[in-house]
Amino acid sequence: MIKNNFIESSISGGLSFLKESVFSDDYASQKGFLQSLDPRIKTATLLLFVVQVLLTKQIVVLLCLYAVSLLLAFLSKIHLGFFLKRTWVFIPLFSLFIAFPAIFSIFTPGETLATLKIAGLELIVTRQGLSGAALFVTRVITSVSFVVLLSTTTKHFKLLKVLRIFGIPQVFVMTLGMCYRYIFLFVGIIENTYLAIKSRVGTKVHSKRGQRIVASNIASLYQRSYRLNEDVYQAMLSRGYNGEPLVLNNFKAGLRDWLWLLCVLTIFVTLTIA
Amino acid sequence: MHIPDGYLGPATCGFFYAVMLPIWAVASKIVKKTLKTKQVPMLAVGAAFSFVIMMFNVPIPGGTTGHAVGGVLVAILLGPWAACIAITVALVIQAFLFGDGGLTALGANCFNMAFVMPFAGYYIYKTLSYHAPFDSNRRVIAAGVAGYIGLNVAAFLTGIEFGLQPLLHHTASGQALYCPYGLKVAIPIMAGQHLLIFGWVEAIVTALVVKFLQRQDPALIA
Repeated sequence: MIKNNFIESSISGGLSFLKESVFSDDYASQKGFLQSLDPRIKTATLLLFVVQVLLTKQIVVLLCLYAVSLLLAFLSKIHLGFFLKRTWVFIPLFSLFIAFPAIFSIFTPGETLATLKIAGLELIVTRQGLSGAALFVTRVITSVSFVVLLSTTTKHFKLLKVLRIFGIPQVFVMTLGMCYRYIFLFVGIIENTYLAIKSRVGTKVHSKRGQRIVASNIASLYQRSYRLNEDVYQAMLSRGYNGEPLVLNNFKAGLRDWLWLLCVLTIFVTLTIA
Repeated sequence: MHIPDGYLGPATCGFFYAVMLPIWAVASKIVKKTLKTKQVPMLAVGAAFSFVIMMFNVPIPGGTTGHAVGGVLVAILLGPWAACIAITVALVIQAFLFGDGGLTALGANCFNMAFVMPFAGYYIYKTLSYHAPFDSNRRVIAAGVAGYIGLNVAAFLTGIEFGLQPLLHHTASGQALYCPYGLKVAIPIMAGQHLLIFGWVEAIVTALVVKFLQRQDPALIA
């Protein structure tokens, strides 16, 4: 009978989620370059970088943009080891893994660069395959780096506030802000539940029983959520909610922010035209 | 299932944002009209619920684990339009705060997981459980089938989106600029793993949760 340690992985999953959020908040409180910018300008400019990475077709330009992201991380006092670990694990490493077969002629026919013999099998590396895979992985890591810069140098509640003032429909605006708080509440509930299960049944359970445990937990989480709805509504009413949510906008952009915006816009327009 | 940045070209990303904009507008209009003021927090709680469903590690025979997306389950519980909003919000938070799923691919991710999956699953569930009593086994089976098909339709579409990239974006010499695999590779890989493994995880989770709710609180799936 094969037993499964999904209980342990659920607990560690919840813990790493909370740890990641705490670490992000640590870096967002540092006095670095990106942290000093107006969150709206910072979000807009880093999004411009992500779009530029998407539009770029030359690997050299992508590598330059990747260097810019590393420089921004350095200027924002993000530890290089943390930044590289946070950006390379998991998506770019996974992308590297899936892009590897694409270097061979079976998937990307083209000009032969090298021939490899693995276990009697002749594999041809093509120029198109190798450059396509390199471009793909560089694009992924550069995009991820800019997104990580945004999420690690901005306090999560500020980032959500920025999204809220970007003209999104009201129902999304309200849901977004409230949802974030409940995620932490729910992660806490899941963690406690699994710790309780671990203390009663251990960490290894047969997969069939495990599936029932997971399903009953999801069902009871939904029941709790549903009950919570009533309490939250009462709390909203007691704070003066009348059907229309109010979003405070107390961000202030200074000269430094506008100069940074101008600088990024110039890079964006130059690279797009070139 | 979450497409990261860099996998899809600008045309595909732009196309899916353009497709999702009217869907989001209609969803917010319908939900605002049908949802009672009292139920407004339910959307936020539902969004948080769909976020954390993906954090539940589900044991798979053989010793490994997988996770369910929960798109169909949320649609069965909240209705498809409210599910569309709740899952979109969960995907936005995942993409912006936790780097899970790309920002440029957000439109495509929302199309697959916040639109196609909940809607396909919800209507399959409704059709298969038509006139079935709330405590019937037919509802449980319908939920499982809906979860399985909903996830596989979304995975199939993701495979098409990946597979179209070498056709849409390549250099004159044939070098791919985004996802390097064509339709013949991307569709079988995406469809294969979801038909054989993740589809079953989704089906089991969706069916068992409906079964538990039938017993404990039938009003919630009424």
